[in-house]
Amino acid sequence: MTALLRFDDLSKSFFGVSAVDGVTLDVPEYGVLGLIGENGAGKSTLMNMVGGVVEPSGGRMLWRGEPYAPRDAAEASARGVAFIHQELNLFFNLTVAENLFVDGFPKRFGLIDRGAIRRRAAELMEALDLDVSPDALIEDLSAGERQLVEIAKALHRDADLIIFDEPTTSLTPRETVRLFEVIGRLKAQGKTIIYISHVLGDVAALCTHIAVLRDGTLVEAAPAEAFTIPRMIHAMIGRELSGLFPARTARPAEETVFSVAALSQPGVIEDVSFEIKGGEILGLFGLMGSGRSELARILFGLDSHQGGAIAIDGRPLSGGARERIAAGLAFVTEDRRAEGLMMDAPIADNLSLVSIARFGRTPFAMIDTEAVEADTAAIADQVRLKAGNIRRQPAKSLSGGNQQKVVIGKWLMQNPRVFILDEPTRGVDVGAKYEIYVLADRLAAAGGAVLFISSEIEELMGVCDRILVMSQGEIVGGFDAPPFEQSAILSMAFRQAA
Amino acid sequence: MSEPARSVPRPLPVAGPGGAGARSAPPGIGRADGARAHGIAAGARHGILARLSRRAGDLLLSDYFVLYLSLAYVLVLLPFLPTLSNPANLSNVLSNMWPLLVVAVGQTFVLTIAGIDLSQGSVIGLASVVGGALLAVGGSGAVLENAPLWGTVLTEEGGPLAGVPYGLLVGIVAMLVTGAIIGLINGVSVAYLNMPPFMVTLVGLIGIGAFAIWLTQSENIRPLPDSFVELGKGDLVSVYLGAQDEPRIPRRQIYSFVTYPMVIALLIAIGAHLLLSRTVFGRYVYAIGANRRAAEISGVPVKRIIVAVFIISAVCAAAGSILYSARLEAGRPTLGEGAFLLDVVGAVVIGGTSLFGGKGKIIWTVWGVLFFVLLSNTLNLMNLSSFHIDMVKGGVILAAAMLDVLRTRLMRERAI
Amino acid sequence: MGDLLARLLLKNATALIFAGVVLLFYAQAPHFLSVENFANIVKQSSFIGISAVGISFVLLTRGIDLSVGSVMYLGPLIAGFAMRDLGIGVAGGLVTAAIAGIAMGALNALFIVRFNIAPFIVTLATLFFFRGAGTWMTSSRQFDFDRSLLDFGLSSVAGVPVPVVFFVVFVVLAHIVLSRTTFGRQIYAVGADPEVARKAGVRVEFVKARVYMISSGCAAVAGFVLIAQIGRLDVAFGEGREFDVIAAAVLGGVSLFGGIGSALGAAVGALLIQTVKTGLVFTTVNLYLQPIVLAGVIFAAVLIDSLRVIRLRATRKRSIRPLTR
Repeated sequence: MTALLRFDDLSKSFFGVSAVDGVTLDVPEYGVLGLIGENGAGKSTLMNMVGGVVEPSGGRMLWRGEPYAPRDAAEASARGVAFIHQELNLFFNLTVAENLFVDGFPKRFGLIDRGAIRRRAAELMEALDLDVSPDALIEDLSAGERQLVEIAKALHRDADLIIFDEPTTSLTPRETVRLFEVIGRLKAQGKTIIYISHVLGDVAALCTHIAVLRDGTLVEAAPAEAFTIPRMIHAMIGRELSGLFPARTARPAEETVFSVAALSQPGVIEDVSFEIKGGEILGLFGLMGSGRSELARILFGLDSHQGGAIAIDGRPLSGGARERIAAGLAFVTEDRRAEGLMMDAPIADNLSLVSIARFGRTPFAMIDTEAVEADTAAIADQVRLKAGNIRRQPAKSLSGGNQQKVVIGKWLMQNPRVFILDEPTRGVDVGAKYEIYVLADRLAAAGGAVLFISSEIEELMGVCDRILVMSQGEIVGGFDAPPFEQSAILSMAFRQAA
Repeated sequence: MSEPARSVPRPLPVAGPGGAGARSAPPGIGRADGARAHGIAAGARHGILARLSRRAGDLLLSDYFVLYLSLAYVLVLLPFLPTLSNPANLSNVLSNMWPLLVVAVGQTFVLTIAGIDLSQGSVIGLASVVGGALLAVGGSGAVLENAPLWGTVLTEEGGPLAGVPYGLLVGIVAMLVTGAIIGLINGVSVAYLNMPPFMVTLVGLIGIGAFAIWLTQSENIRPLPDSFVELGKGDLVSVYLGAQDEPRIPRRQIYSFVTYPMVIALLIAIGAHLLLSRTVFGRYVYAIGANRRAAEISGVPVKRIIVAVFIISAVCAAAGSILYSARLEAGRPTLGEGAFLLDVVGAVVIGGTSLFGGKGKIIWTVWGVLFFVLLSNTLNLMNLSSFHIDMVKGGVILAAAMLDVLRTRLMRERAI
Repeated sequence: MGDLLARLLLKNATALIFAGVVLLFYAQAPHFLSVENFANIVKQSSFIGISAVGISFVLLTRGIDLSVGSVMYLGPLIAGFAMRDLGIGVAGGLVTAAIAGIAMGALNALFIVRFNIAPFIVTLATLFFFRGAGTWMTSSRQFDFDRSLLDFGLSSVAGVPVPVVFFVVFVVLAHIVLSRTTFGRQIYAVGADPEVARKAGVRVEFVKARVYMISSGCAAVAGFVLIAQIGRLDVAFGEGREFDVIAAAVLGGVSLFGGIGSALGAAVGALLIQTVKTGLVFTTVNLYLQPIVLAGVIFAAVLIDSLRVIRLRATRKRSIRPLTR
């Protein structure tokens, strides 16, 4: 078996933090390589280097034995790499055929040869067994059909290597089956495929080879026959956990603080129910695309839901974010940059944003500047913010961990009853992670309820009293008390795999 | 992507070696790192050049940059335009400044939430007509006979408030309410109906302007009561610069200094400054401009604030209309037409309030207005036609927008 | 059901408004519905129509061009000077106007694409800048054209008046460019998502720069065609027309949010605007009232556009789980 693509001691670090560390791996020609690993294991960075989006900081890649160093996506594409992203890169207002040719149309008499692009599109549709007119607009297609159009694009460019990044998250079971048939056919046609997925059953069924990444390094790579699902899970985990998490100081109380009953929204979540007691940290584990962040947005009133009820201390919640904040809810979103912080504004202004109304003095709600200064300084201390002058320094000058402390701090100023933390340690270094865990524990110790949403199992195991597992918009099960077993949680999250 | 970028902590700002001897910079802002100011002088990375570029950057980001710019502008032009420094001219510059300042203060709020209000000019026209129609103390059927207002609101005896106790107050309130209603419509369209601000207010500019013109069939309404005119022209302190031994001073040698418009405009500016910088409302305004989604999630009543901001903008335009109408001694539907828009947007943008939102100060707008009034004044002194003045102003707006891009980039570079 | 109805209404808004407007005027003035009247409307709409087709290119990329009214003035003016001083004739004048327009568009594009300044602020500034330049050239006086221009403007080809010929040619050309060339399809791609377009190998800056040149070029030609029917150019020519032009395009279904619309739609929008204007004259509505009515119509068009886009965004949201039906 020859290698179409070889990673030779390939590394990539961002600002001194390594994302991919010395990976040496062959992508076998005409094979299907399954690439698995937890979030943050380095899969995306590795693939972005193949796709020309990110430049390696060490090592090299070989394409059929030749050095391969694409400067941009176009060059990678010209070499024969097609990258099918989770968010599809299609134009909703163009037809299927036009989407295939958007970077250059065949011409006849100086105009687009519509007959030619239609024929070519029809040919590709046929090859993919897709019953869609080449003239159909993308906006009228289903998610599965759009996915196949992306594959058609790869075929059209005659790509040798097709990378699939979590292709099945928004597909129906039937569409998934069809996708797998297509991938089988692609393989038969002599394409090489890299398949990234959290659905381990799919990976086992589909792939000829499997490579497991963990913390940016390659843990294991072997023909698929050598792997069972438990072995994959074992390879993905395997970190020493002791010392990474603070000891819990609070015990859950008797009374329920936060309750969610039969929450549903078609296409998003289905029949989600749980309760959190005072002083309790409830973990919610879900992989990318499991609906965990969407659930959080619904809980906070940012998106609507059709059925079910949410309550704090027995009082039902309604209205938008503003009403829910007043009722005692706080929400640290997963996208700190876009939704959490005013990056150009001073740290103190960020800290006081949620609670600023409290500092308004009559008349005209003039801000009691001294009180704000005292309170923001106290909160900055409390979250152990490492910053200079918080009244002048903009939020963006902080490290990821300190930015996250600002986000948590701005909610702390409001003394919330219930804290929703969505991926609070994303993009945060190890030391700052520890401090965020300490903060979560203190929130609970103060009698509040904490919903800790994460795709990192270890941290949930380290800080939570209970863990629920979410998959495809549903709560698929839970674990009531430590010690938690990592493989059991992952298996439950991968229930579709079985 | 199936996973987020891995931990990418940003290094904390470290003061560069060049910073130690320079003026004391606030910790952490990264001012000390001169090399980052390459937006000003690319390649100037060492020694004197770096220091100069840093100073230039400091100046550009200073609250008083446009004040310095205005002073420099006057100093450069003075040898060519000696009349510029005549007391009469300076008094004139000041008197032109106040009404524009009132209107520009409103625009500052809108730009700060990353919006724009092109309809202010038409609000000025409509408010002027409303005020004129209500307050007029007489009227000429010969001029206004075709106007819908004639015979319904206005008669030979004037408007309904002529001679009524507190009529002046009611008239002024009516003008302000006119503005508020238009602002409400603009704000609701932008905030709740998701319509683009420049398009909504462009429609307002045309539609409301046309409505004002229709009301009087493009004629002016006069005469207005003296008490109203006083608001636009009345002096509190006048200056006489001539010889002390004259027994009687000719009127034309007395120059207005402290006038009612000055007092009104400064009160409004101070109030707006306090509102924007010291109140909860002001914080919300900045938050929406800085990051609307984060503001929404943080419980800022985003839509209501947007509506309020558009109301403020239109009410400021109406207040400006009071000063302009009073100075003109007439209710005039075409008062804010055409290039007036350039003066307002130009003054605010050159002052430093960003078109990208999240950044704006009333004090900047004060200097921006000063600059624009000086610009108009000097162009007039050069005997340029109004079209040419517009042309120059158009160019200045482009320059201001480029300055905004530069300043924003500079701020970002310094912050990292 | 209600959903479907709303979609249908939003999709066919222009046709519905058109029908409503015609009926309204018919009820007020029955002789409004006549062949001559409509022939007249088509002829009069050609001026706005040509420019509306041009601005559609800009709107399709999520841009805006407020300077068209001034380009309509300055473009033909430069052509007029060239015709007078260089003796290049009407055809030469037309080409000069187009080139002058394209150059003005290039100036807009320079600031928008190269310096990354918001299109509305750039074109607001050049709106005043171009007119100022024109009045500088004429010393704020009216410019009289040679009689030959009027002869050309009032002539007709096979019974079709020259302005209408231009209108039709421009609509057809624009339609072909938008629907049948790589550049045209890339305009739609940029309007749908500039970032994805860039990733797909579209030269976004290049596309954007060209649309502003097209918009200004069309505006200058539109101005020239109208001037050819008047024979002179006064300083207020084209003032405020950017409003009619944008309105025509938006009424014709070209979205202010980019990516949606067609040249044919913009042409229909121009007809609609002119129908309203003519109808207002027919029903002897006060002259000063007409812009108010137009503003109302445009407000409605922008509102419909916004509602349509909100809807579209809602349907484009990624779903976590398949919708069970």
